[in-house]
Amino acid sequence: MIPLVSRRTVLRGLGAAVALPWLEIMGPVASWAAAGNGIARAPNRLAVLYVPNGKNMADWTPTREGAGFALTPILEPLRPVQDELLVLTNLTADKARPHGDGGGDHARALAAFLTGAQPRKTDGTDIRAGVSVDQVAAARLADQTRLPSLEIGCEHGAMAGNCDSGYSCVYSSTMSWRSATQPLPKEVNPKLVFERLFGGDRDASRSRRDQTRQSILDFVRDDSLDLSRKLGATDRRKLDEYFSSLRDLELRIARAAKLPPVQAPAGLKVTGIPSAYQDHVRLMCDLMVLAFQADITRVCTFVLANEGSNRPYREINVPEGHHDLSHHGNDPSKKAKIRDINRFHVSQLAYLLTKLKAIREGDGTLLDHCMIAYGSGNSDGNAHNHEELPILVAGRGCGTLKTGRHVKFPKETPLTNLWVSLLDRMRVQVDRLGDSTGALTGLGG
Amino acid sequence: MTTHLLPRTFSLFSLLVAVSIGRTAEPAPFPKEAQAFLAKHCLACHGEKVQKAAVAFHTYRDEAVLLKDRKLWQRTLAVLASGEMPPPARKQPVPAETAAFTRAVTAVFERADRNAKPDPGRVTVRRLNRTEYNNTIRDLVGVDFQPAEDFPSDDVGHGFDNIGDVLTLSPVLMERYLAAAESVMARAITVDPPKPPQRHLSAMYTEPAAANVPLRNGYRVVTNKAGGSHVETGPIHTSYQVPAEGEYRFRCRVYAEGDGPVPVSILACGKTLPRPASDDAIGKLSGQSVTGLKPFVLVATVDVKARTAKDAQTIEVTVPANLGLTRMAVAMHRPSAGGKPATLFLQSLALEGPLDTRPLSQLKLLACAPGKTRAEQTREVMERFASRAYRRPATRDEVDRLVALVERTTARGERWEAAVQLAMQAVLVSPKFLFRVELDDRPQEPKPHPIDDYQLASRLSYFLWSSMPDQELFDLAAKRQLAAQAPAQVRRMLRDPRAKALVDNFAMQWLQLRRLRTHAADPQLFPRFNEHLRTAMLRETELFFGEIVREDRSALDLIDGKYTYLNGHLARHYGIRDTAGNSHGERKPRPGGQPIGEEFVRVALPDGGPRGGLLTQASVLTVTSNPTRTSPVKRGRWVLEQLLGTPPPPPPPNVPELAEGAKAQLTGTLRQRMEQHRLNPACASCHAKMDALGFAFENFDAVGAWRTTDGTFPIDPSGTLPGGRSFKGPAELKAILREQKDLFARCLTEKLLTYALGRGLEYYDRPAVDAIVATLANNDYRFSVLATEIATSMPFRMRRGKDQTE
Repeated sequence: MIPLVSRRTVLRGLGAAVALPWLEIMGPVASWAAAGNGIARAPNRLAVLYVPNGKNMADWTPTREGAGFALTPILEPLRPVQDELLVLTNLTADKARPHGDGGGDHARALAAFLTGAQPRKTDGTDIRAGVSVDQVAAARLADQTRLPSLEIGCEHGAMAGNCDSGYSCVYSSTMSWRSATQPLPKEVNPKLVFERLFGGDRDASRSRRDQTRQSILDFVRDDSLDLSRKLGATDRRKLDEYFSSLRDLELRIARAAKLPPVQAPAGLKVTGIPSAYQDHVRLMCDLMVLAFQADITRVCTFVLANEGSNRPYREINVPEGHHDLSHHGNDPSKKAKIRDINRFHVSQLAYLLTKLKAIREGDGTLLDHCMIAYGSGNSDGNAHNHEELPILVAGRGCGTLKTGRHVKFPKETPLTNLWVSLLDRMRVQVDRLGDSTGALTGLGG
Repeated sequence: MTTHLLPRTFSLFSLLVAVSIGRTAEPAPFPKEAQAFLAKHCLACHGEKVQKAAVAFHTYRDEAVLLKDRKLWQRTLAVLASGEMPPPARKQPVPAETAAFTRAVTAVFERADRNAKPDPGRVTVRRLNRTEYNNTIRDLVGVDFQPAEDFPSDDVGHGFDNIGDVLTLSPVLMERYLAAAESVMARAITVDPPKPPQRHLSAMYTEPAAANVPLRNGYRVVTNKAGGSHVETGPIHTSYQVPAEGEYRFRCRVYAEGDGPVPVSILACGKTLPRPASDDAIGKLSGQSVTGLKPFVLVATVDVKARTAKDAQTIEVTVPANLGLTRMAVAMHRPSAGGKPATLFLQSLALEGPLDTRPLSQLKLLACAPGKTRAEQTREVMERFASRAYRRPATRDEVDRLVALVERTTARGERWEAAVQLAMQAVLVSPKFLFRVELDDRPQEPKPHPIDDYQLASRLSYFLWSSMPDQELFDLAAKRQLAAQAPAQVRRMLRDPRAKALVDNFAMQWLQLRRLRTHAADPQLFPRFNEHLRTAMLRETELFFGEIVREDRSALDLIDGKYTYLNGHLARHYGIRDTAGNSHGERKPRPGGQPIGEEFVRVALPDGGPRGGLLTQASVLTVTSNPTRTSPVKRGRWVLEQLLGTPPPPPPPNVPELAEGAKAQLTGTLRQRMEQHRLNPACASCHAKMDALGFAFENFDAVGAWRTTDGTFPIDPSGTLPGGRSFKGPAELKAILREQKDLFARCLTEKLLTYALGRGLEYYDRPAVDAIVATLANNDYRFSVLATEIATSMPFRMRRGKDQTE
């Protein structure tokens, strides 16, 4: 029997770095469980966390392969969850390489990371990358949850200018692409993420509001049907974004009426962006956990900082900008600071994984039913190389991943092969994703 | 005969022209030197035998063939400049060789572009960005509360966040649009207006409260008896602070003792009285103190007939709107000649209102011509709203559909106001509102033709105001006179306070100063950098740029204008003491300087001083620095990219390490370290320029404060540019930059045109840019000339014809 503790008391700790397994006691809020017939099995979830500017690879890559590998200085914070990890070496994001497009490795690294597509080099005209893996999953799973996917981050899109050598800022600040031409902006304000997950109102007034919204959407669609026909191809594409977003919203309204009600945790108040970066990251992690646990979505991408971010990390005594430092010119003191930043990021991952692991779900823990990928599309920030990327996957993917190992693949193995393999584990079969050549073997042991 | 002659001569003439054109149009051969470069460095992999990446350079024998493959040649020059090609394993061309080849290829395209057929380009339908959404809602609905605050941030392309191709619309944003429309309309229209506020005041709290106005059984006792043991008491009054303009209702409860009815006047004092009471009228009122209440209006005069407290009567009057109401008073009249004095007993005052508690926006949005039926009112209201929201007259069908929506909603039992509110919400989430749609009114026209006047109105208003057109623009568009009056309208719009948007959105993005908002200078090294200083830095540049726009100054002032705007905070940061620009401890201070307080004031900058122009403003100096130190490279790049429009190519991929291991660590001053860096030929050509420009500003630290040493090393701001021009410091460098006014004017023109069009510039925009730059040079680079020339340029005014669509 689960002890009854006031949700109000427990949930107040959200984001305040309180190490409480508070979500565990919320009971069966998940729709898959509530809708089930007693034999329901927990669904598999996919999250991808991105960190910019590459890694200090010497301090990332474990020396030994297989089980029982020794944790490196950067991976050290993951010790409590080492058994849940798959460290994957030799994956390559080939489409982040120039291929004749010159500089711009930061922009390409993020834009190609989940798409496996060469981003078109443009400062704004006709932007194009490819559909990202999370959106492939989201499109297939859309009818099962309230939100097809969640895109979150800790830094807004860049505030000005060309971000990296002739690439529009959209490339270095966006990981999720709904289509090759439609980047999905990420939400950085925890309050707005929370409202998106749970809506602002109680269920009764929400359903009335949804009805009003539906009547507005009906009207707007009918009223603008003729508009698209009068427009040229590019303009039509923009209008299509509008109409497909409109359809999305209608589906969401329809699903909300069908799915069992999701209760916003009572007494939980999520305010704006915390002033300390670590608090911000962890609050976003908490929201991801909440979204997965309540089965509001099964797909999430999280950009911890934009590619090329020059954020200083004073909390760990690194007052220099991250990007500036990443061009370390082999200066050992700069490399040490890069390592510290890398480890700082990894310790946020450790926070997320620990939370997921602390939540009991079905026959195991929530983490057992997750696949949390973590990494960067740059390897060494100084060299801007895109092979031997720092990548790991945590969680057992509903028993499909054999964790606790360091696996080395043949050199130049496409990163997209990993994505195809993870999609497969969500029962989403695709022949190809970007430059993928097949599924990875050996993830399941 | 003669009738035949003319056409014949004409046709002969045309033939000659055709022949001669044909002759000059004979394709010019691709210059020999350029072909030699290709043969030496490229053909081995991209020639007759091998064609890697499907590139075959041997086929480009004359200019005509070259011109067909513009993209390929752009890319060729780019990979050449970045050092990516020829591949490292191959023999590398020397820089002079590459430069000559680049010039030859570029010249081919430039010649062609100058003689090309006019092409106004294609502007992708633009979604309103966050700023434009906020401003448009403010001007359309009349509620100003930044509803776009929660929208996802807009992506940036070509340096700006108003580029149609980059502005996407995600499901999250769609959801926010719906929510914003709901909250905007909830504020604009109150379906159930609250009851008017009541203010009740017992007589004991009224003024004056002196001994000669006694209180008896809760009644003030007032007399108009002159002299004697009683003195005239004068009016009884009280002050009010009212929340809004509008009609009010005033009541007071009274009875009187006297012969016959006792006349009493109700006075209203205010700040904006249209017609104050005349001295004649005031002269009839009792009491000296009445003049102290001036100015006021006489709202009404009422006879008090009640004679006892038991049957006291209530005087009720309506106080008209727009008085700026501050005080209400009740006054007795002087006794008529020979008449007896009277006594007035006053129990209470009450003010209710404003009687109409609907917000002003509601009164405006729902205003109707009088005497209409509900159905006609619905049509009037919705037609007006939709036409303004879509920024063009709403079609009959559109209005019909909106009216039907209102009627469907009222049929469900909703109030009319609620139904209109819902229909307006629908307008606010319509793509016709959210996007700036520019439908072609002549889609079959093969040649470039002007956009229509309503579209022009929106292009102008979003260019200069980041908002929708105002009534004057709409009126001119309706009369089809806007195109003709565009220059005058641009000048009017630049003087309007809304032109501040041009500073906030264009200038701040062009100068990359939005990044300053999140810039994190190291607090240990720069303890003075705090939120106050950050805000002040931004404000200085906004005010400086704002003066150039508002006062129509030369754009060249941006380089070295000898004036700026400072508050005390920033003045201390700069070491400036007063508005004459004197520094602390100045030996011979210039006269006339006023001290600088907390408000921003205009400051004249002395000729010999270190500051003047954007380059020495703390905002620019800080945003081009790293958190812990200055970055001469970033500063140099900023000058090349933002001011001169000649950005250095991106660093070559995989820059080789300087040497192996830790031994190669760079040592010495920053300048020495950078010089070691430049020993690498792959870096040298661009860094020679960037670094020299950047080092000129080393006397300004990473937050823009003056310094003479960097750590223990003395600062040396001198330098030599490639080409041999040397300078001693920032002042001389700025003089050199000012000589580059053509480059600067071209750069500014290109940036502003990009912003105005919402698209990146293409080769076919070159003639338009050339023309604007030339006109600017002939008009002292005045800002209004730049804005006007852009607003009347072909890419701004015209759209492509059918034959040109891609």
